[in-house]
Amino acid sequence: MSKGENSGGLMSSAGLVRYFDAEDRNAIQIDPKTVVAFGVFFGALVMVLRVAL
Amino acid sequence: MGWKEAAEPVLTRMPSVQRPDGHVPFKRKLGWTGGILVLYFFLTTITVYGTQPVGTGGGDAFGQFRSILAGANRSILHLGIGPIVTASIVLQLLGGANLLGLDTDDPRDQILYQGLQKVLVLVMTVLTAVPMVFLSSGILPIAPGAQETLAGFVGVGNGSMATRWLIFAQIFIGGVLILFMDEIVSKWGVGSGIGLFIIAGVSQRLVTGFIAVFRDWFGIVTGSTGVNVFTQAGFQDLLFNQGHIIALITTLLIFAIVVYAESVRVEIPLSHARVKGARGRFPVKLIYASVLPMILVRALQANIQFLGRGLSSLGSAPAWLVEYNGSGQAIGGLFYYLAPVQRPSDWIWWGDQTGTAATVAAQEGVIHVILRVGVDLTFMIAGGAIFAIFWVETTDMGPKSTAKQIQNSGMQIPGFRQNVGVIEKVMERYIPQVTVIGGALVGLLAVMANMLGTVGSVTGTGLLLTVSITYKLYEEIAEEQLMEMHPMMRQMFGN
Repeated sequence: MSKGENSGGLMSSAGLVRYFDAEDRNAIQIDPKTVVAFGVFFGALVMVLRVAL
Repeated sequence: MGWKEAAEPVLTRMPSVQRPDGHVPFKRKLGWTGGILVLYFFLTTITVYGTQPVGTGGGDAFGQFRSILAGANRSILHLGIGPIVTASIVLQLLGGANLLGLDTDDPRDQILYQGLQKVLVLVMTVLTAVPMVFLSSGILPIAPGAQETLAGFVGVGNGSMATRWLIFAQIFIGGVLILFMDEIVSKWGVGSGIGLFIIAGVSQRLVTGFIAVFRDWFGIVTGSTGVNVFTQAGFQDLLFNQGHIIALITTLLIFAIVVYAESVRVEIPLSHARVKGARGRFPVKLIYASVLPMILVRALQANIQFLGRGLSSLGSAPAWLVEYNGSGQAIGGLFYYLAPVQRPSDWIWWGDQTGTAATVAAQEGVIHVILRVGVDLTFMIAGGAIFAIFWVETTDMGPKSTAKQIQNSGMQIPGFRQNVGVIEKVMERYIPQVTVIGGALVGLLAVMANMLGTVGSVTGTGLLLTVSITYKLYEEIAEEQLMEMHPMMRQMFGN
């Protein structure tokens, strides 16, 4: 593929939710690992609740 | 003065997932994508605390729309991507009609757009969850014993309301989790989370569907299921029910058509203004807007049906508005005509006598069945075209944006002046027409596939989405690998 060829980049259609590079300094930043850890923890919690109660 | 300034403090402070600093290696990207997928499957297997497991009580609130809205009935991810899709519809309509006044090239407006997106999803999560939890007793039925246990904990006489709040909290957290999981995949992984969840769900159904086909054919071949091919009923059974022949053909055909349509394109030649010999092509694909706008049309129909159910559960809906049979399918009234055709028994009135088509044809006449198919076709074809136009506009794929991008990359169309306006004129000859034709075609395909039935009843839209998302994912992975290869090659040869 030559450098000048405009394939891919231009056609990249976003998903249903769009994310841009711009970010506000005030925004709360979450580490992706935190989200995954919370997801696993929350799932396990509900599972335990179902068994225990 | 405007809404932007008023909402700015809230919108700019919406929490978001960190962006990676610099380049994420391809293997790490695959790792994140796979990890999120595992988490998604894990969460779909966990039934919400306080409800009965699936199979007891009422059916799925999303019904046949489940295959495109992802998630799993009564699990933590009960809402699936429903709220995200609904929020996206609102944004598309506002953006398409240019009511937002946001310029997505301006960093300040980009932040506002992102924040608005999140706020809308959260609002839609609440709006979808509240009627499911508080207004209907059949969608998330309270498990026997749960409210008594909870009443003991809380110390109030009746734990019913407390249990409902607890169920609401769980599916709300599930909705928020899905939003952040999508953001992780978009920023750290390959493709988008929403696409990933749709393919995950549909593929799961497809595999189960193919196993069912295999099992049924095993029965037919060994003779344990009596199918007489030489009678009309037996032949129809072989085609539509036990034999799944039509469903198999439709499924394979949709695969082939989408992969073919992905390669149908109008190519606009480009050449570099300064570097001679550097040539390129700008492809305007037949399904230029991709199949994603389709999900918006379907979700609109799902929301309409949801409204119908809500109205009838309140118990005061007149018969001209909506009428349901025992299994919760609309068989009369306005909402019957607005319900999409989901399976062959929805329109083959001479076939399966338990289907809605047979019931309606016997009670009201065949013309009403045909009318409903007509409404669905019109809705999907017109809706597909309209949402495709909006989609192209809001994702910067329109003539104006692409012309600007081509101009900025230093390319020009040979034989034309190097000028944004000129490129835009040429683009205007192709993009709007291709978008409308593509959108309408995808709508038609989705309805046809539903009418003929698909393996595992994944629905036509589900199948179209899956094939098209997988194709995009494949393209993205190929591109990703190419980018990965170049610096590596350079390193190898340089050192």
